[in-house]
Amino acid sequence: MISLSQYLILGAILFALGVVGIFLNRKNVVILLMAIELMLLAVNMNFVAFSSYLNDPAGQIFVFFILTVAAAESAIGLAILIVLFRNRSTINVEDLDTLKG
Amino acid sequence: MTFEQIVFYFFSGVLVLAAVVVVTVRNPVKAALALVLAFFSAAGLWILLEAEFLAIVLVLVYVGAVMVLFLFVVMMLDINIAELREGFGDYLPIGGIVAALMVVEMAIILGPRRFGLAKVPVPQAHGATFSNTRMLGDLLYTTYVYPFEIAAAILLVAIIAAIALTMRRRPETKYQNPAEQVRVQRSDRLRIIRMPSEKKG
Amino acid sequence: MIAAWFSLWGSLPGWSRILLLNLSKIVAITIPLMLSVAYLTFAERKIIGYMQARIGPNRVGPAGWLQPIADALKLLMKEIIIPTGANKALFVIAPVLSIAPALVAWAVIPFTNHLVLANVNAGLLFAMAITSMGVYGVVIAGWASNSKYAFLGSLRSAAQIVAYEIAMGFALVGVVMASGTLNLRHIVLHQQGTGFWDWYFLPLFPLFLVYFISGVAETNRLPFDVAEGESEIVAGFHVEYSGMAFAVFFLAEYANMILVSALTTVLFLGGWLPPVAVIPFTWVPPLAWFLIKVSTMLFFFIWFRATFPRYRYDQIMRLGWKVLIPITLVWIGVIGTVRFFTPWGYLFH
Repeated sequence: MISLSQYLILGAILFALGVVGIFLNRKNVVILLMAIELMLLAVNMNFVAFSSYLNDPAGQIFVFFILTVAAAESAIGLAILIVLFRNRSTINVEDLDTLKG
Repeated sequence: MTFEQIVFYFFSGVLVLAAVVVVTVRNPVKAALALVLAFFSAAGLWILLEAEFLAIVLVLVYVGAVMVLFLFVVMMLDINIAELREGFGDYLPIGGIVAALMVVEMAIILGPRRFGLAKVPVPQAHGATFSNTRMLGDLLYTTYVYPFEIAAAILLVAIIAAIALTMRRRPETKYQNPAEQVRVQRSDRLRIIRMPSEKKG
Repeated sequence: MIAAWFSLWGSLPGWSRILLLNLSKIVAITIPLMLSVAYLTFAERKIIGYMQARIGPNRVGPAGWLQPIADALKLLMKEIIIPTGANKALFVIAPVLSIAPALVAWAVIPFTNHLVLANVNAGLLFAMAITSMGVYGVVIAGWASNSKYAFLGSLRSAAQIVAYEIAMGFALVGVVMASGTLNLRHIVLHQQGTGFWDWYFLPLFPLFLVYFISGVAETNRLPFDVAEGESEIVAGFHVEYSGMAFAVFFLAEYANMILVSALTTVLFLGGWLPPVAVIPFTWVPPLAWFLIKVSTMLFFFIWFRATFPRYRYDQIMRLGWKVLIPITLVWIGVIGTVRFFTPWGYLFH
């Protein structure tokens, strides 16, 4: 039998990996976005696990909304990335140090 | 080991491996593909937790749409990977320490002492006639109907924002207007000039 | 002999019996499917041949009936060339990724009332999720080939498939609104009545059209085959593939065609139900009705290919976003309004 704590620790590992991803790829915006997705996935994993083990559907509803917002976030994030690349022809975070577009 | 445990360890192993690949791999395209694998295995785990609707939505929305978008952008951008990889390992020690600390701390709190099988028993499996989708639908359209509407509005705003951000009219592009082309009369294009014929000199 | 087999079967542990039973079911679906894919290519060449006033393949075997076997043998014998600059692992994985979803989705298709591998409650969602993964084969193939043409083809395909999936999803929302279930078997049972006028293709006619057109676009078939576009980008995403690797892409395309036809049959054409529920029609076995309907839809696929010239890329996008999606949105509104605010709700039972 799988216990709730196994799912929660899996979520913790995933979240930590997302944090490491942000530390390692601090120049590459695309991978930063992916690391954020990874962290959101970890959060969702915890919600689903709790919802299932405590028999409360509210957790799944919350995941539904997180998925919605995360999809919107990545769509806009990528759109901004494209505009950025068009204007500056770089996605290196270090080069993005002017406030003028 | 029961079948469920085998499935759980297999999927979570693949999930963690894929996540490691996402954050360490050189090429962003491969990172995106590894993230697809991670989402897919997470969906497998959610099915194990009897959250079929969310598992399928995760595959449908994330694997089927969002990650395609990511791949699309990553492939289209002409990125100099070497420059972005500069100083890749610089923050590995501190990042690794922070991450390890986080995992250890959370494992202490979330360990079997508080969330083990003795404290939180495995939930009763639902019967074959139980529909996870129907349950979520019933809740979404009654209790959570206002958040649901707001989520819809957020998505609409996201669509409009994404289009408005990336849309551009290039001045040098030439467009055809078929209606205009069809409406053309002879007088618009052709001018008949009266010219006296040349006299032989 | 048979008794020996039965005693062997009885001595197996429980889980392995379930495993073997399911495996044999999967084989029983996959092998006929692969055979029909092979003969679909033959049928396509014959039908298009007759539509263009020629005969089509007629040399291999009686009237050309061994042609698909000969084709398969030829492709098996050929060398698989991996280009120098290609990403080897992804190059090899891509064809597998493109055929796997086309086969997996069959798990939830009900052939008759009792003949279905997995009677899943969220079967419709499952089929949609799995078919939406087919795009990865194309995208990875185009990227891993390290070739401009292949890359262009895969980008076109990705944008096109994502765009048409929305129209497809909205069309399915209409079906779900009418039937009130996501279980494919129950969707067919909801269409049961006295005859074809109870099937969903009549009340949901615009959605039926949108679904089928999106299906044609999702499978990258003519007139939407800009991902291949042999006259502009050589052969699109599979230009670098040869031998069996190419054959797998080919199989995937045809398996997807059959899948879309089967889904259309289940969702809109009453699955295994006879067109009129009276005596001579009900004598025909349900599976035969299912196969007849699927073949009819496949004939449409081939007919489209023989009739229409290829769309231009921007025209495809315009059709998807500005025509099909608005139509589905309007019709969903119509279904909702008619069902809940007018006395004619029975039209959309």
